[in-house]
Amino acid sequence: MGQLIVNGLALGSIYALVALGLMLIFNTVQIVNFAQGQLLMIGAFIGISASLQHDLPIEAAWLATILAMGLLGLVFMAIVYLPLRGKAPFLVILTTIAMGIVLENLALIIWGPLPVSLPSPVRGPPLRAAGLIVSMHQLFIFGTLAVILVAQYLFLTRTRFGIMMQATAQDMNMARLVGIRVNRTVCVAFALGAILSGIAGLLVAPIFLAEPTMGGSLGLKGFVVSVIGGFGSLPGAVIGALILGLIETFGARYISSNFRDAYAFIIMIGVLTVWPRGIMGEKSSERV
Amino acid sequence: MMLPFERSRLTVWLVIAAACALPLLVGGGYALQVANIALLNAIVVLGLNFITGWTGQVNFGQAAFYGLGAYTTAIALKFGVPWLATPILAAAAVMLAGLVLGVPTLRLRSYYLAMTTIGFGEIVRLVIVHWEPVTGGTSGLRNIPGVGIAGFELSGAIQHYFLLVATLSLAALAAHRLRHSAIGRAMIATRDSEIAAELSGIDTVRTKLTAFMIGAVYAGVAGCLYASSIHFISPDSFTGTQAVLLMTMLIMGGMGSIAGSILGAVSLTILPELLRFLGQWYLVLYGLGVIAMIVFAPGGMATIIASLRDRALRAERGS
Repeated sequence: MGQLIVNGLALGSIYALVALGLMLIFNTVQIVNFAQGQLLMIGAFIGISASLQHDLPIEAAWLATILAMGLLGLVFMAIVYLPLRGKAPFLVILTTIAMGIVLENLALIIWGPLPVSLPSPVRGPPLRAAGLIVSMHQLFIFGTLAVILVAQYLFLTRTRFGIMMQATAQDMNMARLVGIRVNRTVCVAFALGAILSGIAGLLVAPIFLAEPTMGGSLGLKGFVVSVIGGFGSLPGAVIGALILGLIETFGARYISSNFRDAYAFIIMIGVLTVWPRGIMGEKSSERV
Repeated sequence: MMLPFERSRLTVWLVIAAACALPLLVGGGYALQVANIALLNAIVVLGLNFITGWTGQVNFGQAAFYGLGAYTTAIALKFGVPWLATPILAAAAVMLAGLVLGVPTLRLRSYYLAMTTIGFGEIVRLVIVHWEPVTGGTSGLRNIPGVGIAGFELSGAIQHYFLLVATLSLAALAAHRLRHSAIGRAMIATRDSEIAAELSGIDTVRTKLTAFMIGAVYAGVAGCLYASSIHFISPDSFTGTQAVLLMTMLIMGGMGSIAGSILGAVSLTILPELLRFLGQWYLVLYGLGVIAMIVFAPGGMATIIASLRDRALRAERGS
C-alpha cells in the first residue's frame, strides 16, 4: 500500500515534468506542443548515446543532453511554429503532431526499436523505512521536480524576463508595442520547454527503459494533467500529475492493469465535462 | 464553349468511368485490395471533412468510429445477423458513441477537443484489444463473410470494388447536397466565426454535433464495408496513428473540398505502397511533407489544382 504510493508519486513526478515543459511553451505562445513526449524520448536517447556509446560520465551526459535539447527546441520552433505564427491554432496542433512522427521515426532509424536503459546519476542503496523501499533514483526524481517547480515559478513571476514571457502570451502585438523582444521570449520558451522534456527523459530512462515509441503516451499524459490542473497554474498541474500517478498505480493494482492508459483519458473527459476550461481555468481566453 | 458546372459534371463522370475501368487494368489481387482500402478511406475522410473541413473542429476520433463500425459488423455477422442489417447496426453504434463523446466535448476549445478525441480513440482501442472473447484481441477477427443481400452474395475483391465505387459516389453526392443546404451553410458559418454565427441565429453547438454525427456515420458505414470486403479486421487498422493519417489525408487533399478529400485519401493510401522501398524513412518524409503542405499550401492539393486550372482558363481566354 505505502509502496504503491511511493511508486505512484514517482510516476506522477515524471508526468509533472512533462507538463511543466508543455506549460512553459503554452504560457508564452498559446500553443500546445503535441510532440512534447517525442522530445522527451529524444532527450533520453541523447543521454544514452552520450553515456553508453561515447563513454561520457553520466553528469557530462546530462549536460550534453541539456545543451542538445536547447538547440533542438530552437530548430523545432523554426520548423513547427514560426511559419504558422498568427494562423489558426488547429494548424499548429497538426504540425507538432507531424513533427512527433518525424522524431519518432528518426529515433527508430538511429537507435533501433529495442528498449535501452540509462544509468542513474545517483547511486547508493535504497532507503528502507517503515516497510517502504525508496530508491535513490526515486528520491532524485522528487528532488529534481521540486527544484524545477520552484525555479520555474520564481522565473515566471519574479524575473523581468519571465514576466515578459507572460506578457507575450497575453497579447503578442501589445507585448511588441511596449518594447518586448517577442522573438527572444518565444525562442527561450521553446528552448526551455525542450530542455525540461529532455530532463524528464533522462529521469524516465533508468526506471522504464527508453524506446522510440515511448513518447506518445507520456506526452499525452503531460497534457492531461495540465488540463486537470488548469493550464495557467503550475502547482495545479503538479498536483494533478501526482494524483494521476497515484490513480494509475492503484488502478493497475486494484482495478485492471490492461486499462492503465485509459484512466487518464477518462478522468480528463470527466473534468472537461464539468469544467470546460480546466479546474483552475486559464489565464487568457479566445478573443473575438 | 462549356459552362464551368458542365465542365465539372463531365469531370465527375469521367472519374467514375475511369474508376470502373480500373479492375481491367490491374486485375484482381493485391493492387485491387489496396484500391478497395483507398475507396473505404475516402468515405471516412469525406465524413471527417464535415466536422473538420466545414465546421472547423479537430477530430482525432474518426479512426475509432471506423473501427467501431467494422467490429460491430463483424461481431453481428458472427452471431448470424443478416448482412443487410449490419450497416444500420454499425451506424447506430457510432451514433450512440458519437453522442456520448460529442455532447460533453464539442463545446471545448481546439486543444481540449483534440485531446478528448485522441483519448476516446485510445479507450476504444484498449477495449478492442482487451475484450478478447468477443473482439479477438490483438489478433483480430478473420474470415468475415462478404456482402450478401437476400441470398445474393458478392464474392471476390472485384465485386466488392464496384460496390465501394458506388457507395463512395453516393457519399460524395450526399456530401455535395448537404454542403449547399441550410445545415451546410451553418457549418461554414460556425467555422468562420462562432460568435458571428451565434449572432445570426445559428445554434453552433448543435451544428457541430450534427456535423460530427454525420462524419461518424460515414466512418461507421465505411467500417461496416471494410469488415465485409477485406474479410479481416484487427485493432492495428484503427489506432491513433490511423486517426492522424486520416486527418493528414484531409489536409493533403484539401480541407473543405469533396474532390480534395477523395484525392487525399486515395493518394495517401497508394503512396506508401509505391514507396515501400523507403522503409522507415517514408514516415519521416511523410511527417515533413505534412508540415510543408500546411505551411506552403494550407488548402492542399485541391487549391493547387484549382489555381492551375484558373491559370489555364485565363490563358485560354487571354490569348
